[in-house]
Amino acid sequence: MKRLILITVLLFVVSCQQESKMNSTINPFFQEWNSSFQVPPFLDIKDEHYMPAYEQGMKENLDEIDEIVNNAEVPTFENTIEELERSGKLLSKVGRVFSNLASSNTNPSLQELQRNLSPLLSAHYDKISLNEGLFNRVDAVWKNRKNLDLTSEQSKLLNDTRKGFVRSGALLSEAQKERISEINSKISGLSTSFGQNLLAETNGFELILDKNDLDGLSEDVIAAAYDAASQKMDKTDSDEEKEKYNNKYVFTPHRSSMYPFLTESTRRDLREQLYNSYVKRGDNNNETDNKEIAAQIAKLRAQRAKIMGYKTHAHFILDDNMLKTPEEVYDLLIKLWKPAVKRAKAEVADMQAVAYAEGHNFKIAAWDWWHYSEKVRKEKYDLDESAIKPYLSLDNVLQGVFNTTNKLWGLNFTEIFDIDLYHPDARIWEVTDKDGSHLGIFIGDYFTRSNKRGGAWMSSFKGQSNLDGVERPIVVNVCNFPAPVGDNPALLSFDNVVTLFHEFGHAMHGTLTNVKYGSMAGTSGPRDFIELPSQLLEHWASEPQVLKSFATHYETGESIPDELIEKLLNASKFNQGFINTEYLAASLLDMDWHTISADDDIKDANNFELASMKNVGLIGEIAPRYRTTYFAHIFSGGYSSGYYSYVHAAVLDSDAFEAFKEAGDVFDSNLASRLRSSIYSKGSTEEAMDLFIKFRGRKPVIEPLLKVRGLDGSE
Amino acid sequence: MKVINIILLFLFFLINHNIHSHNPEDFMIAEIERGQMNFENEQIALEYGAALKRQRIRRLSAMPFIKKFYIFVKAGFEHIIPQGIDHILFVLGLFFSCMTLRALLWQVTAFTVAHSITLILAAQGLVQLRGDIVEAIIALSIVWVAVENCLYKETSRWRYLIVFAFGLLHGLGFAALLTQYGLPKDNFISMLLAFNVGVEFGQLAVLLIAFILIKLFLKKNWYSDEIKIPASLMIAIIGLFWFIERVV
Repeated sequence: MKRLILITVLLFVVSCQQESKMNSTINPFFQEWNSSFQVPPFLDIKDEHYMPAYEQGMKENLDEIDEIVNNAEVPTFENTIEELERSGKLLSKVGRVFSNLASSNTNPSLQELQRNLSPLLSAHYDKISLNEGLFNRVDAVWKNRKNLDLTSEQSKLLNDTRKGFVRSGALLSEAQKERISEINSKISGLSTSFGQNLLAETNGFELILDKNDLDGLSEDVIAAAYDAASQKMDKTDSDEEKEKYNNKYVFTPHRSSMYPFLTESTRRDLREQLYNSYVKRGDNNNETDNKEIAAQIAKLRAQRAKIMGYKTHAHFILDDNMLKTPEEVYDLLIKLWKPAVKRAKAEVADMQAVAYAEGHNFKIAAWDWWHYSEKVRKEKYDLDESAIKPYLSLDNVLQGVFNTTNKLWGLNFTEIFDIDLYHPDARIWEVTDKDGSHLGIFIGDYFTRSNKRGGAWMSSFKGQSNLDGVERPIVVNVCNFPAPVGDNPALLSFDNVVTLFHEFGHAMHGTLTNVKYGSMAGTSGPRDFIELPSQLLEHWASEPQVLKSFATHYETGESIPDELIEKLLNASKFNQGFINTEYLAASLLDMDWHTISADDDIKDANNFELASMKNVGLIGEIAPRYRTTYFAHIFSGGYSSGYYSYVHAAVLDSDAFEAFKEAGDVFDSNLASRLRSSIYSKGSTEEAMDLFIKFRGRKPVIEPLLKVRGLDGSE
Repeated sequence: MKVINIILLFLFFLINHNIHSHNPEDFMIAEIERGQMNFENEQIALEYGAALKRQRIRRLSAMPFIKKFYIFVKAGFEHIIPQGIDHILFVLGLFFSCMTLRALLWQVTAFTVAHSITLILAAQGLVQLRGDIVEAIIALSIVWVAVENCLYKETSRWRYLIVFAFGLLHGLGFAALLTQYGLPKDNFISMLLAFNVGVEFGQLAVLLIAFILIKLFLKKNWYSDEIKIPASLMIAIIGLFWFIERVV
């Protein structure tokens, strides 16, 4: 008996060990995922699995490309374009999981991996986009397109594919290609320096305050500033440095530190100091100055555009967008500009009145804006966030957004409880259509945590395609809402609710998509269009009838009172003059920098900016959202001639929602189904403007946006 | 170096743009505006624990009642075998002290009634005591019972009272575990009951196993001094070790 037990135990131990050994050697990326709905087997994926899968994925991808290029048959749509669509499966399999988790559930080893992968991937994609043999085949198909009897989706794919190669320089002469690659490497070097300088400048300034400099600041703000000083003390070993921060309070030009100070501090001199440190970043005539760099980048971009055959860099960029020319962008921005500035001037007058009433005789300056607008807000738009939150528990809001899509499109969401994801706070639902058929999988990961990047985004673990059988997507929303305290439900602010609806709109774009070719599915459209499906859904969140249906108190079960809704909606009009003016100023600045010609020689970036802002009539109390020397979006990021996209999408969504208003029913079934068939399901299979017109029957107009933002003069 | 990382990161996201619909550059810009991420393992573990509990409660609330009940019985059982080694030792301490089955049953009943009372009260938040104190006294209770086994041949009358008092403390210990584990709000009382049932099963299982092992393998009576004294000594030493560990 004893022996028997012993043997059994031993056998069990040995088998356990073997099993665990086997698990560690099998890389899940090299296996078929047979899990329900092909959700990635997160628990089996270990950090060390990514690199081998990436390497193998890139190798397979290049082999596939070689196969396409070396195909002895005449290039056809099927053996070239469709095969290109099919290529890179493993790379995308590992890439989707990795890029998601490296943001939403990251750790130092994933971040390290990300740094190592970045140059490898960039070289990999260069090999494909600069592959001459591949381009020749694509071009051969394209030249023969009239004889091919392609569907509209196929011809758009063919055009887009070819255009991608052309925009990488495929049609240029060898000398031109060389010049382009020279320019590209110069720009990339300069962009890197721009970012480096900006970070150095942002970290380089700190306002170190004494106990008696804290007038007006709230306890939370003071505590955070004290913590900032203590952290600085912990980081340094020198006694002198430690003494500098001992029992002090530190504020920096990081927005999270600066805004609370500018809002609360009653010390005008200190507000001015901190504000100036912010707007002078990269403009201090020192070794980290960005003026020269910005001017050089703009000039190089103009030169590149000229070689590519475009008038300016903006023309080159916009050729791929929904708005096609700089003229269209300027036209939009200027139309919005006038009402925005008018409203901003009225806001200055309101603030000036408060300042005079307090017995001050100074003129409101840029560094006074936050402080005095807060006073106006309290007086005119006061809204007690803590009174609203109990009505907005996460579960109620989710139910609200699910119901909204149910009323619009008949979708149903069923939570799945037996699939393990990458983190226990991530939840998963199956989305089914009105006829009960499977549409996709939705993952929601809502709470903030230390190993998640800030902000909110939508992404996907699996794309949609109908090329080889029906593939339905797995999409994910990641947010940073505060986690619940103890066993209480998570309560959101109204801003959080809007963010949730926004990301859910992207998720619907990624879920309702129904196209043949994966590269055109879901959110693959141009930048000034893809925020339409997301921002559009936000409108339902602020619709009183919808809000009332889901905003019920988590303890009493009562619906949110009308009076509170009214206050909430009224508060959204607060400070819109400022918000729009600073944003539009930056958008115009972006356009101005990227419509210079290749021969323009800009001596001084500050003069350029000054002239640009004077030209449009910016008021002194407001600076552009980003000044040239810290406009990372356009000089270090990918937004050049694209910063306008946000407001363009806002024009689209306000106008699209207006259609429902005109119909007198925010759930009008005809409109809803047209919205789905012409926008949410289409991906980028047609030109964005055509899609919009299909829904609205005409081109977009700006009036609904002006109304939404309180810029129509009604305030 | 940091900046290079950020730039590379940005490039990476740019390349993956078809995957991320939300402006990938925002990450880089967020780094510039908010500063770098800071990984603190302790904090991450804490957040993970809280998330696990939320997940458990979500999953439970979606289950049919019978399944939930079973899960809580199982959880209660597992909190004795194998997780509740200190409770096992306490029950074994009682086991070795008793000359008769009747005495054993009375003591176990006293212990059970007592820990059920505090488990219910504490789970509803009506009683609270600092966890470290409870844990330390639980260790001490093990020592007490075991030492008493060595000193006295017969169980004294006031022993039942002491066992009852210790039972109250063990109940607080169970409650602490249960709160960590999480109770669904809508079936609070029934799941609490289920958990308690599981604990009793665990306890009975310990007694049964001890009884069978001694009967089968050693062919002796459990109240024989040959087993009682050394076993109790062992239990006392382990209990003492825990007590010191928990106090220091």
